[in-house]
Amino acid sequence: MFFPEAMTRVRLIIPARDLLAVTKELARQGIMHPIDGSQLVPAKVQATGNSWAENAAAYASLERRIQGIMQTVGLEEKPVSTDGESGLVPFDEVRPSVEQMEREVSQSTEQRERVQKRLEQMHAVFEQVEPLAGIDISMTALRNPRYTYSILGIIPTANIDRLRTSLERIPFVLQNLRQEEDRTVVLLTGLKRNADILERAARSAYLNPLNLPETFAGTPGEYIASLQREMEEARKEIAQIERDLSRLRDERGEQLQKLLWRVRSSRILAEAIARFGRLRYTYVIEGWVPSAKLDDFSRRMKRVAHQIVIDTFSFKRGTEKQNVPVALKNPWFIRPFQQLVTNYSQPNYDEIDPTFILAITFPLIFGAMFGDVGQGILLAALGSLLASGRIKALRGLATLGGVIVACGLAATLFGFFYGSIFGFEDILPALLLQPMHNVFQIMALGVGFGFVSISIGYLVAILNHWTSRNWGRLLFDAHGVAGLVLYWSLVALAVEVIAGIHPVPLILLAFSALIGAIGVMFSEALEHLVSGHRPVVEGGIGIYVVGSFFELFENLISLLSNSISHIRVAAFAVAHVGLSAVFFILANLVSSSHGAGYWLVLVIGNLFIVGFEGVIVSIQTMRLEYYEFFSKFFTGGGMKYEPLTLQPTAED
Amino acid sequence: MASGGVFSYAGINARVRGMVSALLGSQEWSELIKASDFNSLIGLLRRTRYGPYLLRVEDKDLTPRRAVYQIKSHMTDVFLILLRTAPKVTHPLLTLLYRNYEVENLKAVLRGIVSRSPWERVRDVLFPLNSLSNLPAQAMVETGNVEEAVELLRGSPYYTTLSHALTRFTSEQSLFPLEVALDLSYWREVWASINQLPKLDREHALTIVGSLLDMNNLMWAIRYRVYYNLSEEELINYTLPFGYQLQDADVRAIAAGADIPQVALHVYPRLVELDEYLRVPREGLPLLEIQLQRAVAEQCRKAFIGYPFHIGVPLAFLTLKRMEIQDLTVLIEVKSSHTPIDDYRRFLLLGYAAK
Repeated sequence: MFFPEAMTRVRLIIPARDLLAVTKELARQGIMHPIDGSQLVPAKVQATGNSWAENAAAYASLERRIQGIMQTVGLEEKPVSTDGESGLVPFDEVRPSVEQMEREVSQSTEQRERVQKRLEQMHAVFEQVEPLAGIDISMTALRNPRYTYSILGIIPTANIDRLRTSLERIPFVLQNLRQEEDRTVVLLTGLKRNADILERAARSAYLNPLNLPETFAGTPGEYIASLQREMEEARKEIAQIERDLSRLRDERGEQLQKLLWRVRSSRILAEAIARFGRLRYTYVIEGWVPSAKLDDFSRRMKRVAHQIVIDTFSFKRGTEKQNVPVALKNPWFIRPFQQLVTNYSQPNYDEIDPTFILAITFPLIFGAMFGDVGQGILLAALGSLLASGRIKALRGLATLGGVIVACGLAATLFGFFYGSIFGFEDILPALLLQPMHNVFQIMALGVGFGFVSISIGYLVAILNHWTSRNWGRLLFDAHGVAGLVLYWSLVALAVEVIAGIHPVPLILLAFSALIGAIGVMFSEALEHLVSGHRPVVEGGIGIYVVGSFFELFENLISLLSNSISHIRVAAFAVAHVGLSAVFFILANLVSSSHGAGYWLVLVIGNLFIVGFEGVIVSIQTMRLEYYEFFSKFFTGGGMKYEPLTLQPTAED
Repeated sequence: MASGGVFSYAGINARVRGMVSALLGSQEWSELIKASDFNSLIGLLRRTRYGPYLLRVEDKDLTPRRAVYQIKSHMTDVFLILLRTAPKVTHPLLTLLYRNYEVENLKAVLRGIVSRSPWERVRDVLFPLNSLSNLPAQAMVETGNVEEAVELLRGSPYYTTLSHALTRFTSEQSLFPLEVALDLSYWREVWASINQLPKLDREHALTIVGSLLDMNNLMWAIRYRVYYNLSEEELINYTLPFGYQLQDADVRAIAAGADIPQVALHVYPRLVELDEYLRVPREGLPLLEIQLQRAVAEQCRKAFIGYPFHIGVPLAFLTLKRMEIQDLTVLIEVKSSHTPIDDYRRFLLLGYAAK
């Protein structure tokens, strides 16, 4: 939970005859993240070609054809029961079925395509003519003039001046007929004897001529009306063909789904094998397996292939130079927050997975800003509904539902602390304080929370440096021990000066702040010193000192802004009460006798607050987490753990 | 005062000065040029600022192409550092300059599609961009079709330009109109972004970015006339009407058939060998471009002298850094192909003078 799942590098050497059985087992287990081993193939073997890559391409092509049929009949892909049919499906078995179904749909689709094409042609003409709709000129008059040459077309507005410049040496008229965003419909007219110059200039200025059909007569408005009538008829014809196709979908749906699954699993297996290392009589499969599943993995593999050789390479976290895939392993109740973490970045294998910290701090910050028992329960109910996946259109947000539930419960808890229910401040007793009446206390609470959050950030960063054995950064990084000493010393100094109490002598705090500042300021050189990197100072000493000074300055400013930033927690808690108060005023204006109007306004107000303010508070919470918290310790950039499997993951 | 002046630029200025000191010096260039082969070149580079980037790849995987890729990754980090520390008002320009790599990647992707290259090959020539870019490069290449690839850019800053220019691509089956449209649109955005800057920043951005724009505009004008034999009106439409020292009148004069050296000397008085370069354009024009880039490098070095609290200092550093990486790319290619460096020294921008 605290770190990504421990991984072990595994190398399987298998005889060629066990290849398929082993690959199927690997895909069935779905725990090995394979590494491309195709570079292991010796030149002699390479010369024989890679038939697996060809098979994979053939399966991919079949898969696309099936998907094409499904798309044509409007059939969505659905998971199907596998019934143990996970082997490679023979081409001879599947190709005739695909071709048969292609024939069945082709008659309708060809007809549809013909009408569709006609419609598109009409639409293309329509798009060309449509910009001229407001122009009251008879196009017939512009056709085949005797002495002049005209080009009617659309040009990027930015090119108009340049076009004028390019034609300065000949007489011409350039009329802007209609301008739309960055495109303008223009009519360029000149003498017929200059037609070639006009054409060259127009083409090089990207003036695309409108190809008006020969049938175009009268004004553009009249022509557009007749075109629209024809387009409507074509649309009706297409609708009829669609109905025929939907009938086909009902009849053949199940068969198509099964066929797709079998071809797809064959393609996945063939693609995987194509990337295996290949010797003359054996195959070498390399990859990463979660260490906890290694024994079970080995046992199962040996059961499938008796002559398999399994090499494992274990290592300590922080010592492996290769990119290790990252599998996050969190209990179900905090897993919804995992997505918030990976949204920022996939954690690195050597660093702490911050999901569990986020699962605590995110709802807390949200709750502190949105404290209301009633609205919190409403939010939690909404979250539960989303998480249950009962609303089909919102199934994609199911993971988010868990986060909303946690936020709603935290808001309920803080609602009890603040004594607030559906905006009413006088029904429940405040267990802690009332934001509107204790503004300074809640501000102090916000800053205090910021202090704790930033300190946790520093501590996690130190732990990350420890894990990756980066002693230089651990000691001297701006987010290492030196940075933490500087931060804590400055906070203690500020508290003692403001509160006027001195449990620790000021001089001692100033001294420790100075030590921290020196560490941060010269962090790069000190890190080089510790890690043995030479030269210790890159570039001139003078430039380095000036640069370091400004970096320290920037660091101090950022510490200050990070701390102050948390005041927003208090500000939003107060604003939340204020917004509720606004709805009470509005409700009283609607019905001072507290009639139906009064309650209607309050219901609308509460829904508005849950929806609108809920979103704003979420964004603010995310901002605090991502920028003020994660930036202290989270490097990210890890490689996602993607095991070979035939089953799509939830994330996919 | 430039966007907050001393206070806004104090941090970034210190940071940039530090990074400038890590640019390769003449001694390092000299050693790199003398490196006996690719491996010793990499050994030397590992002792420089590029060391950590090269160390991320195991020795056996460090091919010349991969080494170039790793070195280029450093540029991305430099941009990120500058974007973190630069005043907000300069972010649009800095982001646009970073987007220059995206534009180049986009062109490479389009070329890959037209030449039917697989994604694996196209990927190798792309500049390593990070999260600042969301170009769907792989998906574009996999469409195998320019029109469909452009559709994938819907919502990006390139879609409108490319979708409009597609009409010409379809009729001419050449990427030329798409690439020109991309370049023109990109530099127009850069110019607009410079004009949004406060006065002092604008002046300094003009000396660096404006010089780059001058260089491009002049090279385009010369290429279109000497190499492609385009007409006056085409040349005007394919160039930009603004710049730092190169004025619209100069470009129009070239378009109208004026003596190119005479026009160019007015902007680049030191460029006396221009006649020489134009005699055999195929060989001469790349060398001319190198000369113009060296003139920009001169301009960049001047930015570090005088009042420092403006955008000119970071921009000059970025430009020099880009040139340094360009030189290293040349060196890596030369050393890995065992070509004598003397044949290529004239193509180096910063390291050419090293003994």
